[in-house]
Amino acid sequence: TMLPLLLLLLPAAHGTAQLRFKPTLTQDLEWVTTASTFVLDQPRCVFQNYSNAVIWLVVALAKDISAFNNSSRPGTNETAFQKFPDPVRVYMTLNVTLGSYPCPKSPGEITVLRVGSETSCAQDDSRPTCNGPLPGPGPYRVKFLALEGSVPVAETAWSDPIMLRTGTVARPAPHTAHTLRGDGGAGMIAITTILSILFAILLAGLVAMLVFWGSDSCGGSSTFSKPESVTVRRYNTHHVYDQPAARL
Amino acid sequence: MAKSDDCVHILQGLLVFGNVVIGMCGIALTAECIYVVANPHGLYPVLKATENSDIYAAAWIGIFVGLALFVLSILGIIGVIKASRTLLLVYIILMLITFAFEMASSITAATQQDSLTPELFLKQMLERYQKSEPASNSDNEVTKTWDELMRQNHCCGVKGPLDWQEYTSAFRLTHSDADYPWPRACCVLDAKGLPVNLDGCKLGVPGYYNSNGCYDAISGPVSSHAWGVAWFGFAILCWTFCVLLGTMFYWSGIEY
Repeated sequence: TMLPLLLLLLPAAHGTAQLRFKPTLTQDLEWVTTASTFVLDQPRCVFQNYSNAVIWLVVALAKDISAFNNSSRPGTNETAFQKFPDPVRVYMTLNVTLGSYPCPKSPGEITVLRVGSETSCAQDDSRPTCNGPLPGPGPYRVKFLALEGSVPVAETAWSDPIMLRTGTVARPAPHTAHTLRGDGGAGMIAITTILSILFAILLAGLVAMLVFWGSDSCGGSSTFSKPESVTVRRYNTHHVYDQPAARL
Repeated sequence: MAKSDDCVHILQGLLVFGNVVIGMCGIALTAECIYVVANPHGLYPVLKATENSDIYAAAWIGIFVGLALFVLSILGIIGVIKASRTLLLVYIILMLITFAFEMASSITAATQQDSLTPELFLKQMLERYQKSEPASNSDNEVTKTWDELMRQNHCCGVKGPLDWQEYTSAFRLTHSDADYPWPRACCVLDAKGLPVNLDGCKLGVPGYYNSNGCYDAISGPVSSHAWGVAWFGFAILCWTFCVLLGTMFYWSGIEY
């Protein structure tokens, strides 16, 4: 009977409550991950029983979560952000008191935590708890840890793996703008064909005209008379003059 | 078998009318092309960067073609009224040359309209915007134009702010992703040109950043310009074709 009692006592002696809450990426925003940051929902109404605690965020690569020991202390070389991910496997940051996470959440408020937003201290060794930009695409897993002084009193579960974005090189559509014969739409084809046909007809007309000018035959029987045309009258006058000359 | 004078006069009247219309359309074409070239939307640097500025070449040709049409229409009117074979021959030949140029302009503008895709602008924007060592002055121009575009039209990137996240860019080389997920010009700015809420903008909170892409703001004006130059040119050419055919017919009937 001693053994079962001991076994029961052991978890109590451990002292750190294992909360079932799992940190999640926020659903309130459209862009929750970038190449070096991601946005979590704040852990509201999770640590209510630990009003004296300071809540820390623990970040690790998904493959390294077993390296976390909740007796790690924040702000030391073993948990400094600047040495993440090697040799520091797990770092701790974003410490706040419970007062910063009031419960219940006011409706309409966007309550988020942006992991990776502090760029100024990313290289500053004197700030080991810096919330610096994450060094790679991950995947990462996070959890919250409540510390009273330096004693851990509660921790949440590990989140699901969080993958960050990676940029690719932009590829333009295969065709370029320069070829006239490019991806021609219906408009371009219509204009080109019709205009080419019209131009060809006009050129044919011009050629016909020039050939026309050379030969007198068709042009002679003119249908359009020039403004001054007195041919008929002259003929009459000539004839009248002739008659009296013949009589004399 | 002489046709009645009425027929001649009708044909002359029609040709004069046709030439008057050509003259007026020539002026209108010149005005339209000057408008396009004068670049009211400030898009010329962006288009030049994508080597897609054929629309401006087409518009420049359009200006000169319009003036030529106006001058030639006057020549045509004089030639028709005087029924002079030489004048009309000169008129027809010069009109054919102008026709060919306007054809080129119209086809270029129509091609341009079809070839404006988002991917084209995307590649240029990513390669040139805020390039740290600008290779030429045109890179600075591209940056300035994009900034203006994004501020005035309240838009970001080509398809959206995600362009800056999904693709590598010259901008990303000099600006860290945590501080600048997208350029500051994508944020909603106050009267002084500073972001209203920088954290909101960085987080992507609706209302503090511009969430739609600028492609519509670019392609809209350029498309309508290209459409205008192409189809107005086409209409003028169809009308000119009819007038030229009439003139050739008239010419062949003039007494030698």
